[in-house]
Amino acid sequence: MTATADRQMELTLPMVPDIEIAAARAVANLAREMGMSSEHVDEMQHAVIEACINAREHSGCADNRIYLRFLGTSDSDGSRIDIWVTDHGKGFDPQEARSRRPVPGTPHKRGRGLQLIELHMDEVDISTTRNGGTTIHMVKYEKRHD
Amino acid sequence: MTEELKVAVERKNQGAILYTKGYINNVGGEEIANRAYELMDGGVKTLLLNLRETKIVNSIGISILIEIIEKMMDKGGKIAFCCLTPVIHKTFQIMGLANYASIYDNEEVAVKELGM
Repeated sequence: MTATADRQMELTLPMVPDIEIAAARAVANLAREMGMSSEHVDEMQHAVIEACINAREHSGCADNRIYLRFLGTSDSDGSRIDIWVTDHGKGFDPQEARSRRPVPGTPHKRGRGLQLIELHMDEVDISTTRNGGTTIHMVKYEKRHD
Repeated sequence: MTEELKVAVERKNQGAILYTKGYINNVGGEEIANRAYELMDGGVKTLLLNLRETKIVNSIGISILIEIIEKMMDKGGKIAFCCLTPVIHKTFQIMGLANYASIYDNEEVAVKELGM
């Protein structure tokens, strides 16, 4: 069956402390409306929070805004939520960031944001260019249990 | 927008339990650290963090929890966690907390195992 766009939401948020909670609540509401499990809702919230913190702490953007888009679709097999978190900052090298990543399970105080996003989401794709901003696109699936 | 973390302390015969309520971010992590360091300075060697009413922890908050664990280990004490959501439990494992702090499903078992 062809997937249909059931729900869509776009947010532009200022980069102020704790604004990631607003983004997390928004995606949680959408996910609950779509009948996703509480564990998947929690995972998406954690991933969105880390993406927003990365944007706020590392993007160095001039407009001080985070742009979010959530798209929920469903078909007979289940549902999925696509999340895009965008900043208009300086960009970064994802490969270089991954090379600095601590080994999973070892205590390390910082540098885990992307790792946690990848842990909590089913698909993660990063588009970034030098001084052209960054978009993290992530997807969560939930199979229908009938 | 603020999301203030609340921390309550219960002293036990051997140690103390910290109950958190709310989002553990940088500010929340510092609040936990302040309470934990007060207890450690007072001689407490066993701390149990009950996160029953915390549903979200970010990576900065976790980095502060790691600092608390390191400080307690330096003092020869131990820290444990209980009542984690499945997602926070998974997050703690990837962040390495599970290697240095025990994690229990519930408080009763934790108190018994820790001899509090």
